[in-house]
Amino acid sequence: MPEASGLQSLFTVAWRLMWRDWRGGELRLLFFALVLAVTSVTGIALFTDRLERALLLESANMLAADRVLHSPEPPPGEINAEAVRRGFRTASTLSFTSMAFSDTGNMLVAAKAVSDAYPLRGEVITTMQPFTRGAPVAHGPPPGEVWLESRVLPALGLAVGDRVFVGETELTLGAVIIAEPDRGQGGIVDNAGPRLMLHMDDVAATNVIQLGSRVSYRSLFSHDDFDRLDEFEQWVRDSFDGNYYIRDVREESEEVAEALDRAEGYLLLGSLFAVLLAGLAIALGARRYSERHYDYVAILKTLGCTSRRISSIYLLIQLQLAAMAVLLGSGLGYLVHEGILRALRASLQVDLPPPGAQPYLVGALTAFICLLAFALPPLLALRETPPLRVLRKDLTQTRFSDRIPYAFGIAGSIFLILWYSQDLVLTSLLVLGVAGAGLLLSLVSLLFLASSGSAGMKAGNAWKLAMTAVRRRRRHNVLQVMVFAVTIMSLLILGLLRTDLIADWQAQLPEDTPNLFMMNVTGAQVEDIEAFFAENEVDANAFYPLVSARVRTVNGAEPEPAEEAADGEGGGSLLENNQLEPADSADAATGSGESADAEGRRVRGRLSRRQVTWSNELPPDNRVTLGEWWGDASRPGFVSIDEEYADWLDLEIGDILEFEINQQFVSAEIANFRSVRWDNMQPNFFIIFSPGTIDHLGATFLSTVRLESGQKLLLNDLIRQFPTIVVVEVDALIEQIQTIISQVTSAIELIFALVLVAGALVLLACVSASLDERFHENAILRTLGAGRKLILTSLLIEFSFIGAVAGVIATLGAEGGLFYLQEQVFEQDFQLHYWVWLAGPALGTAIIAALGVNSTRKVVNTSPLTVLRRVV
Amino acid sequence: MIRTSGLTKRVPTSEGELTILEDIDLHIENGERVAIVGASGSGKSTLLGLMAGLDTATSGEIWLHGRKLSAMGEEQRALLRAQAVGFVFQTFQLLPSLTALENVMLPIELKGDSGAGEKARDLLGRVGLADRWHHYPNQLSGGEQQRVAIARAFATNAPILFADEPTGNLDTATGGKVIDILFELNREFDTTLVLVTHDERLAHQCDRMIKLAAGRIAGEESRVEAAHA
Ligand SMILES: Nc1ncnc2c1ncn2[C@@H]1O[C@H](COP(=O)(O)OP(=O)(O)OP(=O)(O)O)[C@@H](O)[C@H]1O
Ligand SMILES: [Mg+2]
Repeated sequence: MPEASGLQSLFTVAWRLMWRDWRGGELRLLFFALVLAVTSVTGIALFTDRLERALLLESANMLAADRVLHSPEPPPGEINAEAVRRGFRTASTLSFTSMAFSDTGNMLVAAKAVSDAYPLRGEVITTMQPFTRGAPVAHGPPPGEVWLESRVLPALGLAVGDRVFVGETELTLGAVIIAEPDRGQGGIVDNAGPRLMLHMDDVAATNVIQLGSRVSYRSLFSHDDFDRLDEFEQWVRDSFDGNYYIRDVREESEEVAEALDRAEGYLLLGSLFAVLLAGLAIALGARRYSERHYDYVAILKTLGCTSRRISSIYLLIQLQLAAMAVLLGSGLGYLVHEGILRALRASLQVDLPPPGAQPYLVGALTAFICLLAFALPPLLALRETPPLRVLRKDLTQTRFSDRIPYAFGIAGSIFLILWYSQDLVLTSLLVLGVAGAGLLLSLVSLLFLASSGSAGMKAGNAWKLAMTAVRRRRRHNVLQVMVFAVTIMSLLILGLLRTDLIADWQAQLPEDTPNLFMMNVTGAQVEDIEAFFAENEVDANAFYPLVSARVRTVNGAEPEPAEEAADGEGGGSLLENNQLEPADSADAATGSGESADAEGRRVRGRLSRRQVTWSNELPPDNRVTLGEWWGDASRPGFVSIDEEYADWLDLEIGDILEFEINQQFVSAEIANFRSVRWDNMQPNFFIIFSPGTIDHLGATFLSTVRLESGQKLLLNDLIRQFPTIVVVEVDALIEQIQTIISQVTSAIELIFALVLVAGALVLLACVSASLDERFHENAILRTLGAGRKLILTSLLIEFSFIGAVAGVIATLGAEGGLFYLQEQVFEQDFQLHYWVWLAGPALGTAIIAALGVNSTRKVVNTSPLTVLRRVV
Repeated sequence: MIRTSGLTKRVPTSEGELTILEDIDLHIENGERVAIVGASGSGKSTLLGLMAGLDTATSGEIWLHGRKLSAMGEEQRALLRAQAVGFVFQTFQLLPSLTALENVMLPIELKGDSGAGEKARDLLGRVGLADRWHHYPNQLSGGEQQRVAIARAFATNAPILFADEPTGNLDTATGGKVIDILFELNREFDTTLVLVTHDERLAHQCDRMIKLAAGRIAGEESRVEAAHA
């Protein structure tokens, strides 16, 4: 026969079989599962993609740009030229400290000169009257003007329109500056006093910048394509041998990075469960479909169909089905995401950028991978059906179908999780966990089902009938119980996580979160500052000793940081960003070096200084992940390290670290690793020493305080009384993190609810799928004279029992899963949820029994004859 | 032409090996109509399955349509079936999701031949179901289903037809009608017919009758006079 017509006829047959199966309802479950998969994954991906981009853009406001480059002297012109060549928007700022004079007084200010394009992201908020709300503008002061922070005006007796002298030049006070987007990012020179902003072109005339002045240059870059930004970042790194880096907001702020990570983690969890449930549904649908088709295949084979053509036919059917599901699901997904947006309109304050094509691709790929992993194996197993089955019904293939599909399914799931999370460690942990749980669960359910026979011997006919049915279908029921259990487990986990995680996250930043960090406080000033706040009725917090340290050697050797800058080093926390010593990346960048050795400079450049402390007490929200906290029984000579920082340097407990602190060298042994909640806005440290180790090395002190907006004028007094201390206002940072939290929590509520709906649909499908297996049997029972009531009761008992078993297993699984997620992934304290131990099994019994009974009415109301005729 | 020599089928069971067929030598000429009779469990269906290449023998040889089955793989046997073999079964074996017409069209389409619809309609007319073409199997009676199955068996002009108790599920009158149609088409298309039955009357309408007992050939009877419908 000619090849072309053979292929065409294959298409015809595949198309017709699919269409007819569709009509007969055989394919509906599978199709429904596929559509569910595409819809939920596309919908959630569309939404989270847009939300994440929005949050990232929003966070970029904190830098006034997407990427920044810091340097203590003007950066090479090539960098800017290259950025312009690549179509970036660019701007620059220059920060320095200076005195500002009015006709009546003078004041030390943190001056910042900005170019025309500043700010690239976010807005400057200005007003004409000090201490008023102000309105946003998208630019800085024009040449000839200065803008001043509110509290400068009363101090210098100024009003808008007055003359202000900066260095050797005279400028006009054009506006009062209420907020600038990147206020928190400037570093020490930006925190020396209240803000004075001027135009870049006026800097030369002031003549305040001399050789050796403490200045800070920042180059700002912006582009709407995130990939182009990453490429540019790489280009800078490569072209300047690591002497210049451009950094994004995650690298600039450990606090925001952590909040963003956490947000992404929560959203990811929602999608992971959506995929898991969709995969389950697809597996179920495909299994049922292929079971129905053993006879078809046997007939096709007697009609002369080869195994290869059978595979082709079923492959074609699946592809056609998947293609339709992807089309429909993408459309529905779009609607779902629109629905989420509409529901969240009230709480979403960020502008969402338009969605890209990526989410659709993710949805489509998920469907095809699920199909490949869950549906294809049982369908391909069909080809092994012996044609002899037309003569002997009991013949099914056993060679292929038993284990391979599971292997495929597991491999597919692993791939999907890996693809979604892009995290090998998380994936392997999750897979090991699920595999272990799965094994245990099937054992438990097998035991349960096996023991059911002896459970109710004297309880009458319906009970007996049900229990024999349970036992007889034991092997089959294990799968069903597993599906029920996994679905209920997902529902429980999501339900509990929603409350636990979000409550915990929101509790991170209570109303009284300190918004002011005071650094560079000398030991002698501590008491005076405490007195100052007591006088003004402000609650002051504890003082931490603070000293800047750099790791010099690890076990006597040069430290070898991992190539890829991990969170541990890539980020600078609030403390590092405002430390007094120039950052190392900066002093390496000057290249002015006494150390001509390029290699040494590279390592030193990478290993920045860290603000360290010592303490007997573990700071709040810190958790010891390995080793033990020294507590009150501490001895000098030990050190505690942030676990990500430790990962980055590949450190182990017991390693000896040598530190350089104020030109002196100190060694300490690593006693433990800690995880740190960077986004709680409390003083957080990468490195903490045991008391007595570095106390003699000249520490300064750090404390935090909360000043309400009405109390901000106190700052003037504080700085006047203690001119040497550094005060960092972190309102912007707190606000940023709060935005992330509030946006994401409401989104998560909705997404989790969506996944719950998907889960419920899966349950429904599973019950109805399992039901028609019982149709035939019950029809026979009825022809044998069993009454409706007997059959109904027996089915009710059978379903309740299965539901109860699934509920118990789901509860076990959910608590295990929560333990893992909270302790290992989200770093919270896990607590048993006692009520779930009641609710889980009850929920399982109720749902499955209700769904079962609802559908059973169909079983007993259909005439036995119809059923027997249908199933030939 | 179908030929078997020393055909033996054993299957492993929990009580050891069970011999279902032993040392079967058969020769069926082209165009011949052969009935295989025997008690239930004597191995009729097994023999049919082996001759049609649906199963493989433990030992011995089978030639079907000039090809040696034992030397062929399952795929090749399937291709041979597509070209040369038609089936009618006791339980009809129609695809429940396809209409009567589509069921008859299926083998023609699988073979890649054109004009499937026309030919299938024609055949359905021959079995007296012209007006039922759009019905699904569960909307047809057993006898009607079997007639659809017969139409399907002749759809590809296969030279050999295997039938396993085609009337086993039907009452005598209906069975008789179905058999009439089967024989009529058989004569018209000049096919070789291998018919398994335990209905002696039906067997007597064939050219030859082979008796099977406990997996062995227990006797043969030839009818010189052609069967009268
Ligand atoms: N795969 C198998 N495993 C075990 N026993 C088998 C197998 N196939 C056939 N048998 C046995 O071989 C014997 C012959 O079976 P077969 O189906 O060929 O009988 P039959 O003559 O067609 O009977 P009937 O007239 O009842 O259809 C039976 O006893 C059957 O139980
Ligand atoms: Mg038989």
